[in-house]
Order: sequence, then C-alpha cells, then structure tokens
Amino acid sequence: MKRKSLLYVLITCLMVSLLATACSSDNKQNASTAPANGDEKVKLVVWIWETAKDGLDLNMEAFNAKYPNIEVEFQTMKSTDLYSKYLITSNTGDTVPDIITVESTNLSQIVKIDSLLDITSRVEPYKDKMSAYKWEDATKDDKVYAMPWDSGPVVMFYRNDLFAQAGLPTDPDEVAQKIQTWDDYYEAAKLIKEKTGAMMYGDSKTNSSNRMFESMMWQRGLWYFDDEGNVAIDSPEIKESADFLIKMQNEGLVFDARANSDQWGNGIRDGKIATVVGGSWHDAIIENQYSPADKGKWSVAMMPKWSKDDKYTGANQGGANLAINKKSKHPEEAWNFIEFMLGSEDSQVKMMAEAGLFPAMLVNNDASLDEKSAYFNDQAIRKVYSQSLANTYPLAYTSDFPMANKLMTDVWAKVFLNHVSSEKALQEMADELRSKTKRN
Amino acid sequence: MKTPKWNKQMLFAPYLYISPYFILFFVFSLYPILYSFYISLTDWNGSGEKVIIGFDNYIQLFGDKTFWLSLWNSSLIFLMYVPLMLFLGLIFASILNSNWMVGKGFFRMALFVPNFVSVVAVSFVFILLLNTQDGLVNSILRNIGLIDSPIPWLESPWWARISVAMMVLYRWLGYNMLLLLTGLQNISKDLYEAAYVDGATKLKSFFYITIPLVKKMLLFCTVLSTIGTFSLFTEPFILTQGGPLNSTMTPVLMLYIESFQNFNFGYASSIAVCFFILMMAISLLQMRIFDDKE
Repeated sequence: MKRKSLLYVLITCLMVSLLATACSSDNKQNASTAPANGDEKVKLVVWIWETAKDGLDLNMEAFNAKYPNIEVEFQTMKSTDLYSKYLITSNTGDTVPDIITVESTNLSQIVKIDSLLDITSRVEPYKDKMSAYKWEDATKDDKVYAMPWDSGPVVMFYRNDLFAQAGLPTDPDEVAQKIQTWDDYYEAAKLIKEKTGAMMYGDSKTNSSNRMFESMMWQRGLWYFDDEGNVAIDSPEIKESADFLIKMQNEGLVFDARANSDQWGNGIRDGKIATVVGGSWHDAIIENQYSPADKGKWSVAMMPKWSKDDKYTGANQGGANLAINKKSKHPEEAWNFIEFMLGSEDSQVKMMAEAGLFPAMLVNNDASLDEKSAYFNDQAIRKVYSQSLANTYPLAYTSDFPMANKLMTDVWAKVFLNHVSSEKALQEMADELRSKTKRN
Repeated sequence: MKTPKWNKQMLFAPYLYISPYFILFFVFSLYPILYSFYISLTDWNGSGEKVIIGFDNYIQLFGDKTFWLSLWNSSLIFLMYVPLMLFLGLIFASILNSNWMVGKGFFRMALFVPNFVSVVAVSFVFILLLNTQDGLVNSILRNIGLIDSPIPWLESPWWARISVAMMVLYRWLGYNMLLLLTGLQNISKDLYEAAYVDGATKLKSFFYITIPLVKKMLLFCTVLSTIGTFSLFTEPFILTQGGPLNSTMTPVLMLYIESFQNFNFGYASSIAVCFFILMMAISLLQMRIFDDKE
C-alpha cells in the first residue's frame, strides 16, 4: 500500500511537470515566429505610455516610408505598470517587447536588472549631441543601455497678472533679474500673499512629491546620494534647502496640495497659485488641462538659484529614454527605430513643436525654439527651456531614487505633523536609507 | 467478480478525479509558496543573480519599524470598521428579514452594489469626495456649520486611517449583511412566536434570540474581515499610498512597494512568508474559538 501511494505521488509529479513543459514550449513557439528574412516584414513591439506615444506617432509616417519592412506595434500602459511588467518579462526571458520606454527617474533601476541591450557603440555618435546628464543613468560599468529622448528642464512659470498686482515686474527678463535667488523668491512670495492673497507655489506638507525640493538640490549638484554613491541627505547644504521650504510652509506662503494632483490643478485654475517651478512639460498641463481660460496670464522665466555665484541654474524633472530588450529577436531594426526617432534632429524638433516633448538633444539653432506661444503671452518659451537645459547640472537620479523619494515625503510629514526638527528628520531618513540600500 | 484490472481502476479512479485540484494547487499555490520562501533567503533585484544570504532579510524585517507599524495599522483599521460593520449589517439584515419591509430586493441589491463596483474607480471617487481643499464632504460639513477648518481626511495619520476604514466599510457592508441575512433566515419563526406568546418585546427577542443564533455567522464574518483587513491593498494604495507617515501602510502594500517599486524581491518575500504564517496563526486561533461555540 505504501508503495502504491508513492506511485501516485510520482504520477502527480509527472503530470505537473508535463503541464509545466507544455506551457513553456508553447511560449517559445509564440515567441520565435517571424524570422527576419530579407524581404519579410519585421514586427517590433514597443511598450510605451500614451503621452509619449503621441510624440512618436508624429514621426511614424516618415519612419514607415524609410523602413517599409519594419512594422511597429505600440502597446500602451501606465509607466509604473510598464516597469513591473518588464521585470517579469526579463525574468522569463521573453523576446517581446523589443523596445521599452523608461523615465529617467527609473532608468538606473531598470538598467541594474541586466536585461537591456548594450548599445554603447551605437550611441557613440550621439554622445555629445545630448545633454550630458542624460547619459549618467543610462550607463552601468561604462556601458550604455538606453538612448535619451526628452528632458524636463526646470523653469519658473509665473502668473504675470498676479505679479503685476503685487507690484512686481512682469516681463520675463525683468522677472529673472528681480528674482535671482531663492531669497528673492521668498520676498516676492510675501508681497504676492499680502497684495493678492495668492500662494507662491503648491506643495503638500504630508504627501509631497518633493519635486520642488529635488529641483533645488539638483541645481546645486546635491542629491540624495553623492558622487560615490554614499547617502548624502544629511549634509548641511541639503538641510539649508529643506529649511528654506519649511520656512515657506510655516509662513503660509504655500498652497497645501501635492504637485500635479487634482487639488493642485484646481488651485492653478482658481488663480490661487502664482508660480510653478517645474519641468518644461508643465506648459501643456497648465494650458490644456488646468487653466485653458487664462490665455496670456502665464509667462516663463529661469528658476531662482541658491546663491548668485552658483555656476548652474537649471535642474531637470523627468524625461524619458528608449531601450532595447536584450532578448529581442530584432535588435538591428529596433536600433533603426530608436535612431530614427531620437537621433535625428528633424524627428526631435517635430516632437518638441507638436507634442511638447522637449528634446534631450541640444538643438540650439532651430527656428522652432524662437516660435512664440500664444498662450504664454507670445513668449518664445522654448528659448528659456533650452537656456535652462544648457545650464543643468549633470546629475543622475541613481537606482535607489524611487525609495529615497518616498522616504523624503515622510521627512516633511514628520516636520509638519510631529514637529520634529529638520535635522533630526533628515538624519533619520539617512539612517534608514543606509540600512535599506546598504550604502555608506 | 472483481478482476485485477477493475481493482486497479478502483484504486486509480478517485485520485484521477481529484487530481485537477491538486495539480492546480501544486502549480499555482504550493510551488509559489515554496519558491517565495527560497527567494526570502536571497538578495535579489527581480532579475539576474540571486545571492543567498540566509536569514538576513528576516533579521532586517523584525527590526523594521514600518513592518510593525503596518501590522498595528491593520489592527487599528480593523477595530475602526469591523464592529460598526457587523452592527450595521445585522440591523439592516434584520430589517430586510422582517415581514413589514417593502422593496426588499431593491435594498438588498443597493447595499450589495458597492461590493462589485471596481475598487479603483471607487477609490478615485473617494479621493474627490475627501479632498481637503474643495472636496464634497468638507464642503457639506462646513456649510452645515459642523466644522470651521477643513478636516485633513487623507493628510493626517488618524483621519487617513479613518478614511480607509470608512471606504472598506462602504465596500463590505452589503456583503456581510447578506451573510448575516442567510443566518437570520435559518432561524425558525417558531422561536419568535413562542417568545411573543410569552410576552417578550421585539427588542428582547432580538437580543435573546437573534443575536445568540447568528453568533456563528458573526464569527465567520469576523474571520473573513481579519484576513481582508490585513491584506488590504487597493484602498490605501490609491487613497494615500500608505501615507502619511506610513499610517495606512498594510503588510501587502509594503510587500508591493518593496518588490515592484524598490526591486527588493528577497526582502519582499520575507514579508510574504511572515504574513502567511501570521494569517495562518490568526485563522487557526479564530477557528478554535469558532469550534468551541458549537
């Protein structure tokens, strides 16, 4: 009897393994269809999110004309879903997708899982054509794994009508002159609050996205981690920036809503927020999503800097990249696609002009930079973006950015809810970050 | 007249018939559980090399304040909504079970609808309603003069827990009411008639007949709610992202953040294993209590 039951166990195991192999061989068959024969069509699968796809769509016609034998299928999803799905893909060794879109904020993390194709030699001609900072997160052990797409040069969007009411200048050049440093920004905030009742910017005390704070760190070359990868959030310089933002909050100069939330958008719509210090892509959000009725009321200037002597003034917020799956069956065609879309100035300029994706590529002498925006008071806003981009500190987000960003949100909550000192809150964050990331 | 062949079939057949369940169980439950136990002993970023590090993940986990806080949060949220939910569920069930009630089918459905509406959609509606600056709830409370300054529904630790608890209550009230209703319908009408004849009031028969006889069902609902509360995910994930200050962090949300946001799959698996053991212990404990009542 004992032997019999052993037999059944064996049979069950056999059936399980049969089932398992049946499944996996199925997968392989699906994946190995469409070999790349000379005149046969090659199909590339690109994982992307909707707004980014809108940019590529503008160039699809030209791409199809140049590469008639490459067919491109876009599969759209949320960026966070894309990363977790790709992680699973890389685990199972799937050949699909061929190309993925990755935000710079998450790029280093994705590069670290070792499933992207090394494109070091292919990107060589583009090394100097792109903003230097973009390569940092795409590189691991001197090998490059992604091609930069767009940037989010940080600028200051401001309500010129509120500025006028507060007796501040409204012309972008004069504003840039008047608000050179963050202290100037603070003084302007007090004036605006007093004269108009509007808040200077929107940020949540307990659920901050940290965008403003990160831009302030970035422009000074400071970050959660230093150049050697050690945790640096407890440095005195960073505490200065944090204390500045705490002062703004404590003096009631900030609209309490997480940046880019609906609540924040309503504040923009109702004219309760005077400035947005953020990536260039905010132009489309302000113009189309939150404040379409306020044509002519917004202008753009460079963001304030910490001290007048600082070399860099700009920072970056977001921006995407394209990368190739190491297991892709068509790496050549995938690279053709990426090179066509991101390596050519024509494609990049088109995406900038029509989809609001400001290129990581340094396009300085193009007429589209001088094009005036009707919504933004007939200002050549892209001129400001390119100026900001050229002055952006070459900094990397690094692989533990998502974790650091989340912990930083708690630092503000500790300061504002539990009245912990900024020094202690930052120190606690540094300790936690060190123990979790095993950094120094 | 049993031939050897028939004997063999007799032996085989039952196992063959029950095999589909076991195959599915092995492939989709047992193997993943054992595999995640293996991963919990490694340092793994979700792809590439797994480095075996023994029980380091567990040592780190037991020293992780967030993990203990997540268990504490779940217990608090449980206390905030389960008693209220069972109380309301029982009252609604009694009303729907009474003879004088009209439109029973409609109300039964109306209460049950929140349970099968997409949680994600409901969460977004709750975000709009609970918006501090201009949400509907604060506007109403302010207009009828109950509050002077807006309540930070999602921005302070206690209110955030209450908001999550209320949303869970909204979602599961109807479901628990239905369970209790089936319990009520099993109670023989004779008992109430006898009590009536003996001169008991409606209230008395509710406390001395209804409640003792649905006790078993109440316990069953509590067991389900315990597991449900500890594995809460979608509500806090969308409403608060586990914040502020991790006050709405639950073990499953923490597991998700560690795995799919921080790519610490080893650490996340150790959370999964501890969570599994904890849930098993709680379920066994509750089943023991459950048995004693029989």
